[in-house]
Amino acid sequence: MIPLVRLAGRSPCWIVWATKWTRPYSTVDVSGTLEKLASVPKIHPLLIQRAEVMQAEFKTIEAKVAEGNFEQELSIRFSNLSIILDNYNQYKSDMAAFDELKELISEEGQDHELVEEAVAEIEATIPQVQRSVQVLQSRLLPQQKYSDKPCILELRPGVGGSEAALFTEDLMQMYINFANTKRWKHHIVSRSEGNNGFVNEVIISIDDPGAFQALRHESGVHRVQRIPLTESKGRIHTSTAAVVVLPKISEGNESSLKEDERLFAPGEVRIDTMRAGGKGGQHVNTTDSAVRLVHIPTGITVMQQDERSQPRNKAKAFSILRARLAALEREKEIVEQRRMRTDQVTTTDRSDKIRTYNYPQNRVTDHRCGFSLHDLTGCMAGSKLEELMEKVEEHEFEQRLEELIAQERKA
Amino acid sequence: MPRISPRLVREALWHSRLLPPLLRANPEIAMAKQELRWIKNELPRDQWRDAITRRSKLEPLQYILGTQPFGELDIECRPGVLIPRWETEEWVTKLSNLVASRCPKKNIHIVDACTGSGCVPLLLNHQLNGQSDISSQIVGFDISLEAFNLANHNLARIDNSTPNVKFKQLNLFSESLVQELAVDEVDILVSNPPYIPKEDFYSSMYMNGVEKSVRLYEPALALIGENEFYEALLAQLILPMKIKAFVFELGYQLQVDFVKTFLEGKGWEVGSMNDGSGKIRCVLGWRKEMDFMQKLAEEKSS
Repeated sequence: MIPLVRLAGRSPCWIVWATKWTRPYSTVDVSGTLEKLASVPKIHPLLIQRAEVMQAEFKTIEAKVAEGNFEQELSIRFSNLSIILDNYNQYKSDMAAFDELKELISEEGQDHELVEEAVAEIEATIPQVQRSVQVLQSRLLPQQKYSDKPCILELRPGVGGSEAALFTEDLMQMYINFANTKRWKHHIVSRSEGNNGFVNEVIISIDDPGAFQALRHESGVHRVQRIPLTESKGRIHTSTAAVVVLPKISEGNESSLKEDERLFAPGEVRIDTMRAGGKGGQHVNTTDSAVRLVHIPTGITVMQQDERSQPRNKAKAFSILRARLAALEREKEIVEQRRMRTDQVTTTDRSDKIRTYNYPQNRVTDHRCGFSLHDLTGCMAGSKLEELMEKVEEHEFEQRLEELIAQERKA
Repeated sequence: MPRISPRLVREALWHSRLLPPLLRANPEIAMAKQELRWIKNELPRDQWRDAITRRSKLEPLQYILGTQPFGELDIECRPGVLIPRWETEEWVTKLSNLVASRCPKKNIHIVDACTGSGCVPLLLNHQLNGQSDISSQIVGFDISLEAFNLANHNLARIDNSTPNVKFKQLNLFSESLVQELAVDEVDILVSNPPYIPKEDFYSSMYMNGVEKSVRLYEPALALIGENEFYEALLAQLILPMKIKAFVFELGYQLQVDFVKTFLEGKGWEVGSMNDGSGKIRCVLGWRKEMDFMQKLAEEKSS
């Protein structure tokens, strides 16, 4: 109150007193802050329950480690849990602090300055708490499979003929740009063209651990609406391209080849080499080194021919085959989980179109979360793609949360 | 040379101005595109035109680019020396895997006759030293000076540090071959000798003959031969040096039969082996102490 008195030093004393006496309680408007406080997301009680269970587990593991048990699995679990619980404790202390501050400002007749300070503190810490809540939430949800793997992107034109092929190349460029902005290593594994000279398949490998986690929502049919370069009358066409995102399990070079080959039972994979007819041996000096793998149980076929060395082609083919098999397995698991649930969720099946690129309107819309980005050029240049992907991620996150809650409720 | 249709040329032109000449060497446009991409990848821009002209005259791409992948190695190729073939790569890989996993002897001596670019000893050495506790001593020899020089060059390029591989310039038909070779003990003899009979060498691909590119650019010295090479290998090396096992590449069933009859009643077991496209490719033999070799021969029946 001293500064107030000093400020009013020149005016008659009674005014100061009158001011003070007519406002005996805080004048700071706290309703806005309270609203903001209420908007801070709370973690779902089920997840908190999960955290409590984890805490119990952590205690038992801690005891084991203290006894000198150093199994690899145990220590991994231990470090995982300790990170989660750190976050959880942080969250708990944050929430406790919030509660105290809330009490302080909502109480009648509090000291004016104290309330002001409390409000300032709350305002400053809200974004930080929001972030920590998000982190904790994503940690508490069960880990997605292969979330720490690099990825392989397969792009193929869908309906729309040559325009679809052109769009496929645009998409490829978009993902390469995106990888560049993220400073991720990447390379084109293979690229094949149809008889008409247009691309009919591109495979890119993005070699950052975590690339699969970031890009897995890109799987699906991407639709484009624009006036194609090949169109003479200026009509808008709609065409599509399919993107498949696979977790990259093996490196796809000679040293990974041996292990890859060992993984399959003899007779499980048929290896065809595309050699021309004739006598072979010294009679011909062909450079044809194409390799085709057929995985007999699933019928998956992989063909590689870009390298001059046959073992290298084979290694690449095996890497792609393993990635496809892993994706298949993951999909099966997801379907299985879905089947266990009763409520309906919009599918993320790859037969659905997931995104529309509308060139005339300079707009990209993701159909899963209904978000529209009004900067198509930025998206294709890779810089704005992340914004879009974040929205999808959020949407998917909510879905997974719902899924988890529904599961627990059933159990 | 079959006529190239104008339609195909137009299609190639649509793709790239550099593509049509390559159609002379590759009847299929996809293969021509592949070759163009390799040329662009491996040569500097100012050599593209020259490379394409050479290729359009059917010169083997391996001579133009200068290398051929062989297993995990890149073998340098020069005119005058046979280009390593994928069939050879295949059986060498199989053999080295088998030796690495099944051979009871830990220090193994191998000789490669008619070594050419040196690809077989170099790959064997690479595979054996890379994946097992086996140490190997390999000697390769060839009659041609060009081949001898190139083999040494490849050795220096790939692995200069290992004294495990040596090359010599020797004539397989020489009277004093065993003395000149100067190796005390040999466990396995491998060879990819010339095995194309003269009449096949001069007939077209469609008549069981050789590709035009092979006839025009690869050394006849490394290609033309019949049973005499197998006879020399057996009589000059296998029997006098008491070698325990051998693998020879070949192209005809008659050559397998020749080796079989030659070794009949001499305490040898002989089998044959097909390549990845199902054609007869190798004859192999072993004495009792190396009977793990029959694993390679068994693959024929399966």
